[in-house]
Amino acid sequence: MGLLSKKDTKLITDPLSDNNPITVQVLGICSALAITAELEASVVMSVSVLFVMGVGNVVISMIRNIVPSKIRIIVQLTVIATLVIIVDLVLKAFAYELSKTLSVFIGLIITNCIIMGRFEAFALGNGLWRSFLDGIGNAFGYAVILIIVGFFRELLGSGTLWGIPVLGDPIDKTGLYAFGYENNGFMLLSPMALIVVGIIIWVQRARSKHLIEE
Amino acid sequence: MEHIELFFKSVFIDNMVFATFLGMCSYLAVSKKVSTAIGLGAAVTFVLAITVPLNWLLDQYILQDGALVWLHPSLIDYNLSFLSFILFIATIATMVQLVEIIVEKFSPSLYNSLGIFLPLIAVNCAILGGSLFMQSREIETIQLATTYGVGSGFGFFLAILAIAAIREKIRYSSIPGPLRGLGITFIITGLMAIGFMSFGGMLTGGDEAPSNLENEKEEISKNIKIEDNDNIVYSNIDLN
Amino acid sequence: MAINTEKNSYTLMFAIGLVVIVGTLLAAVDSSLKDKIRVNKLLEKQQNILYAIGINENEGNSVSFISAEKAEQEFQKYITKQIYIQNNNVVEDDNAYLIDVKKEKALAKDPNYSRKLPLFIAEKDEKMLYVAPIRGKGLWDAIWAYVSMDEDMIIQGIYFDHKAETPGLGANIKQRFFMDDFIGEALLDSNGNFKGVNVSKTNLDPKNIDKYDNEVDAIAGSTITGDGVTAMIRSDLSLYQSYFNNIKNN
Repeated sequence: MGLLSKKDTKLITDPLSDNNPITVQVLGICSALAITAELEASVVMSVSVLFVMGVGNVVISMIRNIVPSKIRIIVQLTVIATLVIIVDLVLKAFAYELSKTLSVFIGLIITNCIIMGRFEAFALGNGLWRSFLDGIGNAFGYAVILIIVGFFRELLGSGTLWGIPVLGDPIDKTGLYAFGYENNGFMLLSPMALIVVGIIIWVQRARSKHLIEE
Repeated sequence: MEHIELFFKSVFIDNMVFATFLGMCSYLAVSKKVSTAIGLGAAVTFVLAITVPLNWLLDQYILQDGALVWLHPSLIDYNLSFLSFILFIATIATMVQLVEIIVEKFSPSLYNSLGIFLPLIAVNCAILGGSLFMQSREIETIQLATTYGVGSGFGFFLAILAIAAIREKIRYSSIPGPLRGLGITFIITGLMAIGFMSFGGMLTGGDEAPSNLENEKEEISKNIKIEDNDNIVYSNIDLN
Repeated sequence: MAINTEKNSYTLMFAIGLVVIVGTLLAAVDSSLKDKIRVNKLLEKQQNILYAIGINENEGNSVSFISAEKAEQEFQKYITKQIYIQNNNVVEDDNAYLIDVKKEKALAKDPNYSRKLPLFIAEKDEKMLYVAPIRGKGLWDAIWAYVSMDEDMIIQGIYFDHKAETPGLGANIKQRFFMDDFIGEALLDSNGNFKGVNVSKTNLDPKNIDKYDNEVDAIAGSTITGDGVTAMIRSDLSLYQSYFNNIKNN
């Protein structure tokens, strides 16, 4: 891609692995875990965060030179809150069923540390295009973790993916269930999300030894 | 008593950290010591106890559907709930600033121990989460909202204190490299959350069928009038 | 640009400017989407009520409402009359399905207030069906349902929903295996007394063959949600009994 220089591409690829917002920067955990019982919810949450981070980073970058430092944090919060409210209203209008599951957690995107974290660390000091890339890069990193957790939790917890049964029918006992396989209902409970993320961190650090803490 | 039940529910069953994982970001990344955990927990409880009732007032008199009716009866159709997020955050940010100034002025020692956490708290998921859950669960009175705020804060406090204590202890265990630090903390928190789920049995929950059911039925049955265009027909009903 | 961003006056102006821009933007988005959101809520109610009377697109073992496009039409076709009962009066009201059961319950705490009890009357396959909305408390938050009955108060269909029950446990009240169990269950006993339906763990009839035992099998791990369902049926549906007695006597 001629559009992105090597440095720019790094802005997108770093958060996908070495600088992942959830597993390395330890940000954005809150809203991530409670809603990942279904793959669809994880994806919708990821897209919402992508929108807020992409647009948010651009807006903050645009006004970075005219924001009075005294109210910097409040301005950032206002920008995020506005974008989140827009996302919430759009969801209620076009995906009503889903908006009911995500309700409170969409609001929690506002305090999602990733967004404020990237505003402070990057958008406040960098140009529009690079801020945009940084924003969507981190959003992708967040999305990757959410989708992996959502995938396993839904598959092992209810035997479906995106609401479609893939292992057979648990009531009619077809497919895998004919052999005595049962859904692991535990996976649907939120503590398992933490444990799955813990395992992802384990795997990631085993592969990238430089991330191991002392 | 409703308050006691709500308090226990928000500390053990609806625990901010173990049931909904709010407020963990800053904590996990920053501290591994019990002393800092106590500081953060106290600060969060304090802020929650103040902001949840304040936001309840906001919700009741400004944000809810038709809430503006106290200003002028014609305003009943206005629904400002889409401003909830912004107004809640604004109150929280303002309250935290105010609290910081007041604490600094009146109790420098308290300020020194709580001090660094206060700015962090304004953006802590747990604080906004407390207000949002209060709104979503439609808590009915301001006293209940305060109990909910204090309970949630205390639950948070308990949770991070426990995690910090465990993290301090496991520093001397031989954990495999890749799991060390963050990984094992996640897994331990997950296990603790599972443990806390056992408190679910404490709840009386659900609804008790009303004891005045018989009286209510009698009242309704005594006279049922059916309007049928021009004819009004009376009938007396005996339930048995 | 030599703007001194540190001056207080500048800060104030910036803040005011920000509030104005944000306020306008949000108000614009809200008013443009408001109607669509309202329609979504209405549609959902219609789909739920239609589901309770058996108009749906269920396939296999999953719950599937009639599609949004067809909902309004089917609703007009099958629901012949909407009424609510208040203060011993029966009032016809085409928007009875919009009555907020939650608000009514809250208002009813005042002993001087007489609760509005909505009832939707449908005609399907030459049978008269009566759908009532009921509401109660589950483990975490509210649960509610639309129950359709015939004039003998035998359940013909039911749809449950909840706000925050545990997925895989309490949330399973929305599953076919639970809801279908209620079909054909009698709410009254042989003497005509209201007994409701008990979601019971000690149920001796797991395949639910006996429809006159006033019991259905509970969901494992969802005791409190199940108790909430039992209580909700008992407290809300019993209020309609006199209406049905009246219909039969006339």
